[in-house]
Amino acid sequence: MLKLLRLEYLFNLRQLLIIWAIFSFYFAWAIYRLDSPGVFIVTTSLMVGLGIPFAIVGREDKFKTAALVCSLPVRRSTVVLSKFAATWAAMLLGMGYTVFLIGVLPFSKVPLGGVLSLKNLLVSLFLMSLLFAVILPFTIRFGITGIIILLVGIQLLGILALFLAQMLGGAGNPLRTFFMAVEGGIRSLLHHPATPGYFLALAGGIVAVNLLAIFVSRALYARREL
Amino acid sequence: MECALETNGLRKEYPGFTLRDVSFALPCGHIMGLIGPNGAGKTTIIKLLLNVVRRTAGEVRLFGLDSLAHEEEVKSRTGFVLDETPFYGYLRVAGAAAVIAPFYRTWDQSWFEALCREFELPLKKRVNALSRGMKMKLALAVALAHGAELILLDEPTSGLDPVFRRELLERLSGLIQDGRTSVLFSTHITSDLERVADYLTLLREGEIVFSAPREEVLEKWAVVKGGPELFEGGNAGLFRGLVRGPYGVTALTPDMEEARRRLAGRGAVIERVRLDELVFFLGREGRREKEAGRE
Repeated sequence: MLKLLRLEYLFNLRQLLIIWAIFSFYFAWAIYRLDSPGVFIVTTSLMVGLGIPFAIVGREDKFKTAALVCSLPVRRSTVVLSKFAATWAAMLLGMGYTVFLIGVLPFSKVPLGGVLSLKNLLVSLFLMSLLFAVILPFTIRFGITGIIILLVGIQLLGILALFLAQMLGGAGNPLRTFFMAVEGGIRSLLHHPATPGYFLALAGGIVAVNLLAIFVSRALYARREL
Repeated sequence: MECALETNGLRKEYPGFTLRDVSFALPCGHIMGLIGPNGAGKTTIIKLLLNVVRRTAGEVRLFGLDSLAHEEEVKSRTGFVLDETPFYGYLRVAGAAAVIAPFYRTWDQSWFEALCREFELPLKKRVNALSRGMKMKLALAVALAHGAELILLDEPTSGLDPVFRRELLERLSGLIQDGRTSVLFSTHITSDLERVADYLTLLREGEIVFSAPREEVLEKWAVVKGGPELFEGGNAGLFRGLVRGPYGVTALTPDMEEARRRLAGRGAVIERVRLDELVFFLGREGRREKEAGRE
C-alpha cells in the first residue's frame, strides 16, 4: 500500500503542483470576495472535490499506465485503495491549504473560526465524498473521456436550465426544479441546527458514501480489461 | 519436469475474437516462442498470464501456483516486456526504475544501472524522448534487474536494430543457463526463434495448432512439393495449407516420415520446414477456413 502511495505521489506530483498554483489564485480571490464561511466551504469543497480526484484518477487513464501498475506484484483492490487514500490525502491538503490562506492573507473576509466549525468541516467532507464517489468509479469504468463527458454534460445541463428558466419561467421547468432541489439540499446541510444527531448523520453519510465508492470501484477495477 | 508456466483450457472471449482452450506448459529453464499471424491471440495470452485481462475460463499456474490466488507472489517472480511499454513519459529512466523498484524485494539497483550502461540507456533521459527500441530496452532492464524467474516478452525484438536483437537473443539464451529462469516470448520474426527457442507454440485464430519442443516440430513437419495428383485421394488428409501454383502444389505435412513413405518414387520433393513457412501455410489455411465458414 505504501509503495503504491509513493507511486501515486511520484506520478501525480507535477499535476498536483499545477492544481496548487491554479487553486492559490482561485482561493485567494474567493477569500477576498466571500464573507460567508458556509458559501466559502461549499465553493472550495466543490472545487477541491472535482479538481483533485479528476487529476489523480484520470491521470492513469490518460497515460495508459494501468497495464504497468496492474502487472506489478500488487492486487488490483490495493491499487484502488491507494488511489482512494492518495486522493483523500490530496483533498485534505487542499482544504487545509484554503484554511491556511484564510489565516495568512491580510485581505481575507472569511472568518477563520466559522470555517473551522465542526459543522462546516463535516459538510465539506460530505460534499467532497459525494463528488469523489461519483468520479472514482465513473473514471474507472468509462475512462477520462467518460468523466469529461459527464462534467461537460452537467455544465451544459446547467446552461440549458438557465436558458429554459429564462424562456419558460420557473413553473413546470423540471431542470430548474432539479437544480433548486440540489441547492435546497446544500442549504439545508449548512443551515440545519448543529445537533449531535445531525453530526452523527453527516459522519455516517460520509462513511457510507466512501465505503460505497470503494466497494463499487474495487469491483469495477477488478473487471477492467487493460 | 517442473513447470514455470502451465495453462489449462484458457479461454478469453472478446466481441469478434475468442481465444479457445489454450493449454500448454513451459518447463523451467527453457525458452518458449509464441508464434502466429497477426490477431492469432499471442498478446492476449501474455496479458492473461499477467492478469491484465480477465480470463473467461481456464487456469493459469505460474511456478505451480494459481496466478489469481497467488497473484502477488507469482508477479514478484515474473518480469515482463509488453508490446506497448506503458511508462510515464515525463519520468526519467532512473525515475521510472525508482518507481518500480520498491515493488520487488529482489531488485538490484547496481545491476539495473549496469544493464542501462550495457544497453546504452541514459539514466537522465526522459522516457518519452526514447525511441520504441530504447523503451523496449528499458522494460527489459527493469525485468532483468529484479531477477525474475519467468520473463514474458511480447514482440520484444520488433523495433530493435539487428545488432541489439542478436544480443538480446544471446542474453535470453544466457539467462536460462541457470536452469531456473524461463522465457516466453511472442514474435512474428520467426528467425529469432530458430536461434533460441526450445519450445514452440503456434497459434492461429485464437487456437493452438501445436505446442511442442522445437526439434520435434522441425523433425515432424515438412514442406512437400509435387504434382496435384500427389495431394489427392487417400493422401489428402496428410497435407495442410495447400498452395497451388503454375508448376504444381506445395503443402505442409505434420508427419514427414509418413509422407516420405507414401510418396516414395512419385517425384515428390520433401524438405525440412522453416518456421516462417509453418506460419505462412497454417496462417493461410486458417484464413481460408474462416472465409469458407463465412460463406
